Amino acid sequence: MSQRHLEIQSLRLKRPANRFLRFHFLGILILLVTAWIYLDIPWSELFLSRRIDNLQRFAHEIYPYDLRDQPFSFTGFWQWFTKIWSEKGFAATQTTFSMSIVAIILAGSTAMMFVLPASRNVASPEPFLPASQKPQLRRYWPWKMLVTLVRGLFIVARAIPEYIWAFLFIALLGPGAWPAILALAIHNFGILGKLGAEVVENIDPTTPRALRGQGLSRLQIGIVALFPMSLSKWLLFFFYRWETCIREATVLGMLGIVSLGFWARESRARDWYDEMLLFVLLGAMLVLIGDFVSAVTRRWIRRA
Amino acid sequence: MTSHEFELENVTVRFPSVTALDSISLTIGTGEQIALVGPSGSGKTTLLRLFNGTVRPSSGCVRVRQVDTRELSSVQLRKLRSQIGFVHQDLSLVPNLNVLQNVLSGRMGRESFAQSLRMILLPISSETANVHQLLKRVGIEDKLFTRTDKLSGGQQQRVAIARALYQQPEAILADEPVSSVDPARANDTIGLLTKICRNDNLTMCVSLHNLDLARKFFPRLIGLREGAIVFDRQTSELNDDEFHRLYQLTEEEMLPDRVES
Amino acid sequence: MRPLTRIFGLRSRVLLGILIAGGWAAWQLQLDFHELLPANRWDTARDFFHAALSPAIVYEDPTPAGTQPLLVKVAKGIWQTICFAMTAISMAIVGGVLLGFLSSSAWWEDDPARDANCLRQLLRNLITPTIVWLTRTFVVLIRSIHELLWAILFLSAMGLNTLTAILAIAVPYTGYFAKVFSEIIDETPRDTAYAIRELGGSPFHVFFFGLLPRALPDMTAYACYRFECALRSSAVMGFFGIPTIGYYLRPAFDEQHFHEVWTYLYALILLIVIVDRWSDLLRRRITQ
Repeated sequence: MSQRHLEIQSLRLKRPANRFLRFHFLGILILLVTAWIYLDIPWSELFLSRRIDNLQRFAHEIYPYDLRDQPFSFTGFWQWFTKIWSEKGFAATQTTFSMSIVAIILAGSTAMMFVLPASRNVASPEPFLPASQKPQLRRYWPWKMLVTLVRGLFIVARAIPEYIWAFLFIALLGPGAWPAILALAIHNFGILGKLGAEVVENIDPTTPRALRGQGLSRLQIGIVALFPMSLSKWLLFFFYRWETCIREATVLGMLGIVSLGFWARESRARDWYDEMLLFVLLGAMLVLIGDFVSAVTRRWIRRA
Repeated sequence: MTSHEFELENVTVRFPSVTALDSISLTIGTGEQIALVGPSGSGKTTLLRLFNGTVRPSSGCVRVRQVDTRELSSVQLRKLRSQIGFVHQDLSLVPNLNVLQNVLSGRMGRESFAQSLRMILLPISSETANVHQLLKRVGIEDKLFTRTDKLSGGQQQRVAIARALYQQPEAILADEPVSSVDPARANDTIGLLTKICRNDNLTMCVSLHNLDLARKFFPRLIGLREGAIVFDRQTSELNDDEFHRLYQLTEEEMLPDRVES
Repeated sequence: MRPLTRIFGLRSRVLLGILIAGGWAAWQLQLDFHELLPANRWDTARDFFHAALSPAIVYEDPTPAGTQPLLVKVAKGIWQTICFAMTAISMAIVGGVLLGFLSSSAWWEDDPARDANCLRQLLRNLITPTIVWLTRTFVVLIRSIHELLWAILFLSAMGLNTLTAILAIAVPYTGYFAKVFSEIIDETPRDTAYAIRELGGSPFHVFFFGLLPRALPDMTAYACYRFECALRSSAVMGFFGIPTIGYYLRPAFDEQHFHEVWTYLYALILLIVIVDRWSDLLRRRITQ
């Protein structure tokens, strides 16, 4: 009996770094509990009568102002809706939509130019080498630095939230569409760059290797082989990020560009909760349309 | 008289596109070891799945230990299934769990959810020792803590067998357990399986492609073809002619040039 | 060669469509490239980017006695950002798993062998699809509204407190998790689940031991990605009054303490980089 236990023990010790995962899992749990305790949410306070009154008042305020005294009627709602739509809603929706398109195109086109230097299988002394042959250390360093630099650029670009980029750009460029577009473009540049580089790194190396054997430069291999092979996946990511761009574009307006977010903030400032809710819902509708278009396009691309 | 473990009475199983089994009747006694042979598509898998209640007969009666499977409530069905070990063709193991956890999952039919959770996450030493003992019987005890997807196909097969054995079942059903393994290992595995079942007096029903293997290890063979039983008798009484008829291609199945010649 | 030209045809068309959409959008916005280089703000821009090279370690202007040192404030801001993000993500994961489960096809796949009595048929054909449809619609709704818009809604309804921020992030993230989880569950191979059912497991056994372990690597990868996003959202909440890093960044910028601003920015970048590296490592270890 004890011999078996010894055997089991020795097997257990030979186990690979499962300890790493367990340690981390425990660590995360501890961190989580600490976070909850630190924030110390006053749960009991939430159900104070004052808060309930607040909530009731809010629910009351959502109802459109002009229609409050009249009996409920669909035409009344429709008139209220069309009034806001024609005055502010339509233009704002268009602006939001357009900003997202320009931003993602900027992000995508710029990212594509940086993808090759960021892919470890292209940006190396001997691209597409089989794993067994290690290049000489002397020639290795500059390429490794290039990859780290470009990837670092991607990380910095995406580490800062779009909202903060937009905030900074508004202060530097003044209000208008550009701050939001640049903010979205920079952030998504980082993300698309990283995803694009991953796609290139996971490419089957046989064709590029053959082309390299024929003497093509890295850029030529990129144009002839890598680009067509990765284009489908890149397009999928492109449309996926466009969905997020629409979401972000709806809120970036809050900083000063005339879009849905802008009007939402304005309405809230004036306590026009009914309009505020309408703009929020318009934003949701725009997001849904974008999701739909993106999903359909991605299905086409996948099927091809 | 030996009690009947499995009974099929005029069972037909019809799927939307095909009739898998057509008016099958057979009886398997407790402790018997039989092999199902036949070409692919003959209905071997469907037959096996009738026994643990995974497939319902379109007509006819399936009885396990004298109880009609259709009359079982869901709780009773679960209990029945927990007493029958099934080794699937594609093994159906959890790839990212280790061997110990996969084998332990065999007893889940008998345990409550909370017990199972505890068992998987924090197995106690006696359970681990039991599994170790079992893995020794199938020959892979040193892989106790290895992740299942890191094992070779043959080793994973043994894990699947160990999981079925850990259930401490009264019967073992195996669907093509050695189809993707080389002949020498297949021989070992089937030999091992039959030895264990004979030792523990388990009823065993295995479907196999390889006729020689079937003839070597099983005292009783049942031949299936296109959903009907072609023969059902003791191995010693069987002759080669019947085997060949089983696997002969029909006119339709043959390639065009062969038919013309 | 024909399939290749057909694929190329579709992708070219998509690219063309994108270009046309871009042109329309640029026209619609009346984009003016001159706006990118405003003359009157050149000084501010120059100062700002110049400060990037020397982030502050102490406050730029003299501060009243007893104020925390700058680095302590930065650390506190980062810690609070992490706290809000973690609490929100933990809520969102729980809610997301639940809703994802309800809106996927996993839980109502019926055992084909059991006799379909009247009640069971009613459950299967009427009630279950309704629940699935309701859940899906709810999930679509909550994830169409951006977390900052949720923040505005919650601020109006509940005022400024910690729960507002947590819920503002947790609610849409529950939607994101629910959608991705239900997709992952739907695409997981079912063979292990069937095997567990066939050895007598209850539906709970089937889900937790048959489906979940195989779906876990993908779910963890997505959770790591979402946590990074939550950190960013949490930072931005600072602009709305929640005490995260954004809360300290804004006044520093308004007062033109650009060196301090860059300190906060670098701290945030460092945080994201660390989280990104760590989640990469974790993901690699899980699939090893």
